Amino acid sequence: MQDINDIHDKLIAQIVASDSPREILKSSDLKQLYNVILTLPVNERGVYGKKINDLKQKLETAVVARETELEDLTVQAIDVTAPWDINTSELSLLPTEQGTQHPLTTELENVIDIFTRMGFEAIESRQIDDDDHMFTTLNFPENHPARDNFDTFRTEEGFVSPAHTSTMQNRILKKNKSKLETDGQIAAISYGRVFRNEDIDATHEHTFYQYEGVFVSNDATLGQMLGTLRSFFEIYYGQKLETKTQPAYFPFVEPGLEFAIEKPATLGGEPGDWLEMLGCGMIHPNVLVAAGIDPTKYRGFAWGGGVERLVMLKYNIEDIRHFESGKLQFLRKFL
Amino acid sequence: MIVSLNWLKQLTDIDIPIKDLATLIGARLVEIEDVVDLGVKYKNVIIVKVISAEKLKDSDHLSVVKIDDGGITQDVERDDQGYIQVVCGAPNIKTDQFVVWLPPKSIVPETYNSTEPFVLSSRKLRGVMSNGMIASARELDLFDEHDGILELDVNVAKPGTPFATVYELNDCLLDIENKSLTHRPDCFGIIGFAREVAAIQDKKFKTPDWLLNLEPDLNDLSDKNMNLSVAIDDSSLSDRYQAIVMSGVDASKKSPLQVQTYLARVGIRPINAVVDVTNYLMLLTGQPLHAFDYDKLVAVAGDKPDIHVRAGYKDEKLELLDGRIINLTTEDIVIAAGKTAIGLAGAMGGANTEIDNNTKNIIIESATFNLYNLRSTQMRHGIFSEAITRFTKGQPADLTAPVLAAAVHLMSKWSGAICASNVAEAYPVNQTLPIIEFTANLINNILGSEFDVDNIINILENVEFKIEREGETIKATVPYWRADIHIVEDIAEEIGRLTGFDNINPTLPRRNFVAVRPTEFDDFRKKLRKILVRAGANEVLTHSFVHNDILQKANQDSNNSYRIANSISPSLQYYRQTLTPSLLNLVNSNIRQGYENFALFEINKSHKKQDGMTNENVPVESEMLALTIANKNTKSGASYYQAKKFLDYLCKTVGLSVTYKPVKPEMNEPLSAPFEYRRSAIICDRATESQIGIVGEYRKSVTKGFKLPEYVAGFEIDVCQLFDACRDLSKSYKPLSRYPVSYRDICLQVSNDVNFNQIINNIEDTLDSIDLETEISPVDIYQAKDNMVKNITIRIKLFAYDHTLTSDEVAEVINKVVDSAVVKINAKVI
Repeated sequence: MQDINDIHDKLIAQIVASDSPREILKSSDLKQLYNVILTLPVNERGVYGKKINDLKQKLETAVVARETELEDLTVQAIDVTAPWDINTSELSLLPTEQGTQHPLTTELENVIDIFTRMGFEAIESRQIDDDDHMFTTLNFPENHPARDNFDTFRTEEGFVSPAHTSTMQNRILKKNKSKLETDGQIAAISYGRVFRNEDIDATHEHTFYQYEGVFVSNDATLGQMLGTLRSFFEIYYGQKLETKTQPAYFPFVEPGLEFAIEKPATLGGEPGDWLEMLGCGMIHPNVLVAAGIDPTKYRGFAWGGGVERLVMLKYNIEDIRHFESGKLQFLRKFL
Repeated sequence: MIVSLNWLKQLTDIDIPIKDLATLIGARLVEIEDVVDLGVKYKNVIIVKVISAEKLKDSDHLSVVKIDDGGITQDVERDDQGYIQVVCGAPNIKTDQFVVWLPPKSIVPETYNSTEPFVLSSRKLRGVMSNGMIASARELDLFDEHDGILELDVNVAKPGTPFATVYELNDCLLDIENKSLTHRPDCFGIIGFAREVAAIQDKKFKTPDWLLNLEPDLNDLSDKNMNLSVAIDDSSLSDRYQAIVMSGVDASKKSPLQVQTYLARVGIRPINAVVDVTNYLMLLTGQPLHAFDYDKLVAVAGDKPDIHVRAGYKDEKLELLDGRIINLTTEDIVIAAGKTAIGLAGAMGGANTEIDNNTKNIIIESATFNLYNLRSTQMRHGIFSEAITRFTKGQPADLTAPVLAAAVHLMSKWSGAICASNVAEAYPVNQTLPIIEFTANLINNILGSEFDVDNIINILENVEFKIEREGETIKATVPYWRADIHIVEDIAEEIGRLTGFDNINPTLPRRNFVAVRPTEFDDFRKKLRKILVRAGANEVLTHSFVHNDILQKANQDSNNSYRIANSISPSLQYYRQTLTPSLLNLVNSNIRQGYENFALFEINKSHKKQDGMTNENVPVESEMLALTIANKNTKSGASYYQAKKFLDYLCKTVGLSVTYKPVKPEMNEPLSAPFEYRRSAIICDRATESQIGIVGEYRKSVTKGFKLPEYVAGFEIDVCQLFDACRDLSKSYKPLSRYPVSYRDICLQVSNDVNFNQIINNIEDTLDSIDLETEISPVDIYQAKDNMVKNITIRIKLFAYDHTLTSDEVAEVINKVVDSAVVKINAKVI
């Protein structure tokens, strides 16, 4: 009886040199090993059987590696500088009528467009960030229960996957605070991808897009915030809209509100149908202080809303999971 | 959280319909998710008196019962005296009892909201007529008590009185969205909630006197023969800890049924008088209470009634009331008897001091704990009780004393226990009430509103702020239950909220007349999307996180990815390093959906560890553009050229001239990892030679792993690099010439190892030295079978701005081109 290790070494050597490595898995040496099992006392069979299986696994891995190697040998280099292959002719692009832009990027461009016309600079949000920007500079003390409401992904390296575009707020305030002296105001939106660690279903995604606004001046009021938001939605939906609010608690604003609009007629809305669109409020003085802005001289407001909600309402999309599904079936509807 | 409307009405007037009230609460306090009408379940359910109850012959448990319904039920069979007969299976049925009767045609409340509501009738049971049924607490959907029928107090009401009227069950239950009350511990008590409900209707609220008495005197009640000492060992863990001993506890005593129904309707199961007192007061005030078995505690502590509040020790264990044994950490707050842990503070008591049927003496605890510690305890041990939900909102230290006093009163009233010690207390740091000074002007400046001083004072006094006015200055003393009010912005919120933010006039900020435009980078990305869409490609967005499988299939090393530590989904393990693997993952599924020939692209961020940190010490982000073309059917020619076609079109449209350089086999970057180096090229800016990305076919193992068709290829480029390369390009428009254009095709035979670019460069170099306008384009690339040479045909376009070219001029140019090709790349003219 040959030792299992010897057989391992022998067969591996054969595989590495073989042009048809899979054949070696049919080796009589292996068959013999199986026959040995029956000759062993019952209590030793399990251990032995496991050894044979381990061996088989290793051989299989080696076979796959060798097969890949052999395949690679057949790869022909090509002239990468040529416009088309030898003995073929000029290639064409795909029919333009089958090209589509993703509805989320289309609407995001639309949102950015409206806000820039309203005087807000647009800045893209980060997709990996730290606790400091995600929470601490936004007046969420360490261990604050409100942090729980954000179901934040964390990495082993200690970073966070931002759960809101407010992760850019401290940066925007710091970068633009000199503008308060010169222009008298900061007006910016941050937009981009955010993440929540939750189960997905037709109305929940762990990955979605937000747009966040920040406005600071020496005389900003809550009334101005309501006016700005109403104005945005009226431009977006192209009609006059009723709005309403509801008190809400977010540590980075005081007062904090949820903002709703009456469902626009263009979306089949009837009077009395309300759509919750976003959270908003007057920037908490601690958030201004964290960015080095004197809250006794300046005040501001901020808001954050979801892009998917805008798009789903606009096109009547039934399942939020379609957006990141990459299904052409879905994508080609947005010509 | 469930709030009972009737309970609110005990505390404040409500004179608007429930629908309007719900809207008002929604606009001025908190979102209401649902309003449930409780009363509908109890329609026709009435209180009756048992006139007689006799055992039914041949049955060991059924009784034939005659009841007096006061004669109010219609269409039901009655005997000579007008009584109604019901067969009842409960062991506790007795003559002269007052019980609850569900008449025929009524629905058993327990089944009211089920898919098959049970409608009662008159029918014979064992040959005896039975009309409707006498109900247990469970059948009444009150609480889970099914050992017998629900016994009411004798003479609680005239027979025939609706059950719901007597027990105030014609109620509406408001389902409150807790999340937005995270900062409002007071609203987790019905008194606090009622205060808000009063104020949003512009009514003054009056907190019950007992709750305002912060130093209640319990001396008269106390027998004081028992000792108790408490200590907070670390004052950061608890602001205040109070406890008192009560003796003569009877665990079999129940609290009043009325109280039980209130507990039950908001979701708390009545147990006995002792437990019900603690729950009732928690619901009323927001202050959780806990009761320990005194004698067990003394035994655990080594014969001393000695309580400590301290941090958990490492390696310390505690068995909880629910039977779980948990490992404590130094972040947990522990209640200890002597040295031994007897409870996880604020979360759950320990098994070693649990109250049972033999308990005679109890300790009632009324305390506050550090909410941050409790929050981590809650997460670590997965405890989500009503008590910890309230504690983690931060209950104020002042609240413990009046609630403890109320507990002593109710405990003696409902359970017969008597107070047996002084209040033992630890209160290391006295909490003081903040006073906030402001003017009406400041409030109006924050809100954009027009309140006058009297308005503001009235609004704040409605919710019991103490106000002093000095000229224009308002000094508001914050009530002790409002731990959330610290700064003038908090006052502004109170004013705006209680009067309705929607009553503030929306205006627009004044802005400087300066145009703002999207950043050039945003515009550039927008342009890239438009170009690729025009080329027939489909934009996708895919997740930023990928499963390890995807990285492996794409030949990328997961050690280079930031790893998600807490994902609830196994498919979200790593940040992706490039976009290509995500696109490859979509090809097969789309082919199976019936799409044969398509191009997918995505513009998004990617992250890899090798890129290091920004100056803010967060990971560098790359903005990438990836495209993959796939064709289910085989096509002649390498798919590489199809991907390159898209890329050439993209570069040409943004005005960038690029070169394609071979990929070195040893190149091992996440970007190049999925690509087959012999059939891929590095894309470089022609002017600066800086690398922009890679285009090519994928490795065999990648194609296999993602189950890709044979004809598949793609590119991935760094959008920032591309943007930088395009930034300074000048527009290259040249006027049209008025003179005719000449074309000449030349066919050059070159060795196979001369690449196309060398030929083009050679021709271009020659043409650059000529004083005519020229353009070149490829016409044909031919290779005979097994030949070592290839024939390349190039078209040369020639013209001048000032004259028509003569054939000699053209011939001279072509000769120069040919001569150079012959000399420099060994070409032969065909």
